[in-house]
Amino acid sequence: MKIMKKRLLTLLLTGIMATSLLAGCGGSDSASKDGAGKDETPTNEDASKPDDSADNAEEPTEKVTLRMSYWNSEDTVSALLDYLAEAVPEVEIEYQFIDNDNYNTVVDTQLSAEEGPDIICESPASALKHAKLGYLKPINELGALYSDAGTNVYSYDGSVYALPGISWFEGIWFNKDLFEENNIALPTTFDEYIAVCKEFKSLGIKPLAAGLMSWEPMLKNSMAFVTAEYLSTDAGKDFGGQYREGNAKMQGTWNSYIEKWSETFTEGIYTTDMLGIDHAQAMDEFATGSAAMFCSGPWDYDAIMEKNPDLNIDMMPFYGTAASDGWLIGGPGCGFAVNANSKHADLAVKVLEALSTVDGQAALWENNQGGSSYLNGAEFDLPEAYNSASSALNAGNVYCPWNEWGDAAAAHENYGLEFQAYLDGQDLDTTLGNVDAAVEELLSK
Amino acid sequence: MVKTKKQPGSLGKYFVIFIALALIIYAVFCILPFIYTIYYSFTDYTDMHPVDLNFVGLKNYLKVFDTPVMVTGLQNSVIYAILLTGFQVILGLPLAAALNQKLKTKNLSRSIFFFPAVFSSLIIGYLWKYILSSAESGLINSILTAMGFSTVNFFTSQSALYSIIATQVWQWTGWAMVIFLANLQGVPEELYEAARIDGASGLKAFFRITLPLMCPAVKIVVVTGLIGGMKVFDSVYAMTGGGPGNATQTVMTVMMDKGISDGFYSTGAAFGVCFFIIVLIISALVNKLMSKWSKAIS
Repeated sequence: MKIMKKRLLTLLLTGIMATSLLAGCGGSDSASKDGAGKDETPTNEDASKPDDSADNAEEPTEKVTLRMSYWNSEDTVSALLDYLAEAVPEVEIEYQFIDNDNYNTVVDTQLSAEEGPDIICESPASALKHAKLGYLKPINELGALYSDAGTNVYSYDGSVYALPGISWFEGIWFNKDLFEENNIALPTTFDEYIAVCKEFKSLGIKPLAAGLMSWEPMLKNSMAFVTAEYLSTDAGKDFGGQYREGNAKMQGTWNSYIEKWSETFTEGIYTTDMLGIDHAQAMDEFATGSAAMFCSGPWDYDAIMEKNPDLNIDMMPFYGTAASDGWLIGGPGCGFAVNANSKHADLAVKVLEALSTVDGQAALWENNQGGSSYLNGAEFDLPEAYNSASSALNAGNVYCPWNEWGDAAAAHENYGLEFQAYLDGQDLDTTLGNVDAAVEELLSK
Repeated sequence: MVKTKKQPGSLGKYFVIFIALALIIYAVFCILPFIYTIYYSFTDYTDMHPVDLNFVGLKNYLKVFDTPVMVTGLQNSVIYAILLTGFQVILGLPLAAALNQKLKTKNLSRSIFFFPAVFSSLIIGYLWKYILSSAESGLINSILTAMGFSTVNFFTSQSALYSIIATQVWQWTGWAMVIFLANLQGVPEELYEAARIDGASGLKAFFRITLPLMCPAVKIVVVTGLIGGMKVFDSVYAMTGGGPGNATQTVMTVMMDKGISDGFYSTGAAFGVCFFIIVLIISALVNKLMSKWSKAIS
């Protein structure tokens, strides 16, 4: 009898444990399937139905929650979110920050399962991929409100799939006081830039702070030079288009430009020591006045000024060997796209309509000052900290070479990594050849 | 009345109840994905081609050994695993033997040496990245500069992997020491007394008594060290991200970059299967060697 009781008790306890576990693992019925709406969230159709409850007649209609994903923190769009809350009151934006390192993987996985955010922030490369796979809704009417320069990189097969955000650009931040105190004039050509760096070195001041643990600084710096020397010329303007079709190679075409740019190595502006410094540490060197220049963009302005509010900085563009307005590396910022499988695609389009107004762009610009809008008729004043870059901006000399590489755009990371190896002794032919191989592999998918 | 004695391990029908849930979870989250990985490794699955997969034979496996960064990843993982495990044993054993002596600071010393193992490798990696940095704020280089020495670049293509290994030796030697200590405490004191009576020195006692009897602990440290070392990701990710260039790429960082971020899912799957086979071979070899050692001792 005792044994029987024990067995029954054991079975009972096991049953309770299993039930608790299953209950814990089980999803709530109330959770929406696509994760976009709350449990009480009505569908678009529901939202349009009149509320026949007299008691609730004066209460606002229940909002539909739309999920918006982005690789930048919420701070960078906080003004936009506030604006959208007013402009599209029937929608509540659930902002989803996904770290840039995992952004594409997470979004790809969700979209391939016919789920994912309702509004997706896309890079030109990911927009192209998602458009080809049918994950994005064409938004041609809204796209027509923007300049071609902004929508070209988000177009596929004659349709626009994302609306360009405020442009991003990267130039060279410089410490105005260090230049003035040492009577050093701003350079206007690449050779003058090298001379300026040498002058700072002779004064015992580090000319350029660079965190080369990251693959980005040399990517942008060298590509700006190649843009000025080759890609912006008649000879090179088709390179991007040819490259993405597999009809052009970097090896053999870019060698002479990169060899010239490599004076930044031979003159000790970029050194192998910098391979042991990350972006934040390089920014510290610049912010504390230990270095005269630092390549970055508007996104670092607040952090630099927070570290040293007394710092007097300005931004200059990159230069080629001939005198020019200079070049900035940049292009359309995050492209706002609509998930074709969103249950609230119409509302998502409505949100993008609100974004495609001067007020919408102003709200987006609020946290991205320095960049410009691609919306026709939306113009904003350039903050003082970008005075020396204004000639390049006004001339429209803002260009991002890998935006032209189509399916192979991701190879720009390989380019940056290969340049780390190049600085550390790898020969130029191998460096450029490896980038070509990475591009070829990506195009073969 | 004759009581029937239950055989060890025979829990009757309750056995099924207790094991079922764990087995289901294991099957769903381990066995099934692994079977899928093998399946995908023979297909043309990429982010641009996620449906209607085609059978491509051994193409992905050939590509694994034809892709320089994958070969580099394998080489670096093997170097990392062997060096880390080797140093753990070489440094951990004498450390454990020393801290097994009657010392006043015995417990404090044991805690200090074990302490780094408490933290995540990611945190330790970020910490060491700053300590080894070439920037003005880099601790080691600023000390060297203050002492009048020239600075050392710990993150060149040649040195970066070994810098990472050094930090991981620092972190995990204490953990190996604890395993060795546990084994050491089971070695009968009488053996050492007998050795002392026979006139054996401390060093001789270590090599003739301690070392042979440490086989079980060494086996644990070597097997877990090698397998864990082959799978290294977090410390590399935190300190170099695989750079400069591809100098510190390991199996896991390549799998993340190529297999997931770049969308070459089928190649990544083939790489994973190759890695599984390599780890299986290494584990089998180590087990065989250790078994021989055990037999030789007994």
